[in-house]
Amino acid sequence: MPQAIPDAIRLDGVSKSFRLDDGKTVTALEGIDLGLREGEFVAVLGPSGCGKSTVLRLIAGLETASTGAVRIEGRAPSELAAAHRLGVAFQDHALLPWLSVAQNIALPYRVAGSKVDHARVDALIELVGLTGFRDARPSQLSGGMRQRASIARALVLDPDVLLLDEPFGALDAVTRRHMNVELQRIWGTRTLTTLLVTHSVDEAIFLADRIIVMTGRPGRILREVTVPFPRPRDPSVLRTPEFHALVDELTLALDPEEAAL
Amino acid sequence: MTPRARLHRYGPPLLGIFLFCLAWQLIGTYRLAGLTWPPLTAVLAYLADPAHHQLLGRAARTTFAAVTLGYLTGTGIGLALALLTRLFRPARAGIDRLVALVHATPAIALAPVFMILMSRETIPVAISALAVTYLIYVAATSGLEATKAAHADLFRTLGARPLTAFWRLELPSALPALASGLKLAVPVSFMGAIVGEWFGASRGLGLLMISAMQNFQIPLLWAAVLLTTLTSLILYGLLGLFEAAVHRRFR
Repeated sequence: MPQAIPDAIRLDGVSKSFRLDDGKTVTALEGIDLGLREGEFVAVLGPSGCGKSTVLRLIAGLETASTGAVRIEGRAPSELAAAHRLGVAFQDHALLPWLSVAQNIALPYRVAGSKVDHARVDALIELVGLTGFRDARPSQLSGGMRQRASIARALVLDPDVLLLDEPFGALDAVTRRHMNVELQRIWGTRTLTTLLVTHSVDEAIFLADRIIVMTGRPGRILREVTVPFPRPRDPSVLRTPEFHALVDELTLALDPEEAAL
Repeated sequence: MTPRARLHRYGPPLLGIFLFCLAWQLIGTYRLAGLTWPPLTAVLAYLADPAHHQLLGRAARTTFAAVTLGYLTGTGIGLALALLTRLFRPARAGIDRLVALVHATPAIALAPVFMILMSRETIPVAISALAVTYLIYVAATSGLEATKAAHADLFRTLGARPLTAFWRLELPSALPALASGLKLAVPVSFMGAIVGEWFGASRGLGLLMISAMQNFQIPLLWAAVLLTTLTSLILYGLLGLFEAAVHRRFR
């Protein structure tokens, strides 16, 4: 067998348990083996509470595994963050309320101690459709606009790893689809290892190269699906019978009780 | 704002102030509370009389200087202690207890100690600063803990060094609580200075109140009280506006 290229991100035999206030421990993840190749877009799909956000937090270095190892390019996840090579868009946009949109998007430069590339900030503002709102504060924006600003911030330093924790969860269906198309376009322009956590089957299939389906309590990997659609993907893919067949298949996988009926 | 909305917003407080002044005036005029309660107009007339301006002005200057110095010293010490607990977390529990202990000790009980430790003129500043220190310390430490978990996560994923996170996240997150503390410290600093003057100060509004009381100079006593209260209220109101602006911006 030829020597395989090592995965950019690897989780080996990872489990994670949390101790609750009453002393009980809850196992959020168990026996997770997962690898992301460099430049691969992987979506983690699962019902709420299945531990999919915990997978993302482990890769972001915000949690440490109870057992097993999480490695990014063979190192600890915190090293990637310390090198300012990680971009994360959180479920809660996490914009700083006292900064304008432009200042929020420029924040990673300031935290990294490097000079703000104003042209790039402006280009990202345009890319996520916030032109005209660059000096607005987050409180003046709609939920969707805040999420878009948060995605622009995650991209501004041109990171090597992008983590998206249900970044479109709070959006209405139309805005969400629009954001998916935008993200797919942005993503197509460069090599960016990406993990998307979502409970939307459509979103996962449209954006990802590979989909990991998880079940909850404790969180385990149920199955893996490679998405067959070539890139760049046109929104018209969403209307093909193959797309719908895959949606049905994964929806059933997510809800085994319905499958048993 | 429409005239109607303005009436709804400012009507009740203005009515309340009017009723308060009216009650004061009526109680004084009809001697409902005895001879020691003068009508409001008598106190205002006393304040307006240029013959009393030198006495009141000199006392007010002394007291307000003590208030300012006490307020600034207390704020400085409170902030410094809060920063110390942030930079050196193991010190937190100890400093918390020390500050609470000092606060729990009545200033009156400490006064004799102050009297043998420092000059009589410094006591008002010291008691004022002591009370302000406690308030600012509590406001600043709770403010420094007000950082949202999501924001802390963001800074960690951005690879922020501790000092960067402090300047760009923890400090701005602490400002709303701190602004509330600065507002609440205003009346406290006045109280500290006035009480402090009762321990042998040679000049000041607090001293004026005591001597006017002992010499039955009722309008002078009330004039000194009114002057102190109004100044404190006005500063409290201004700091309230500052607090509202900080809350709008940083929350």
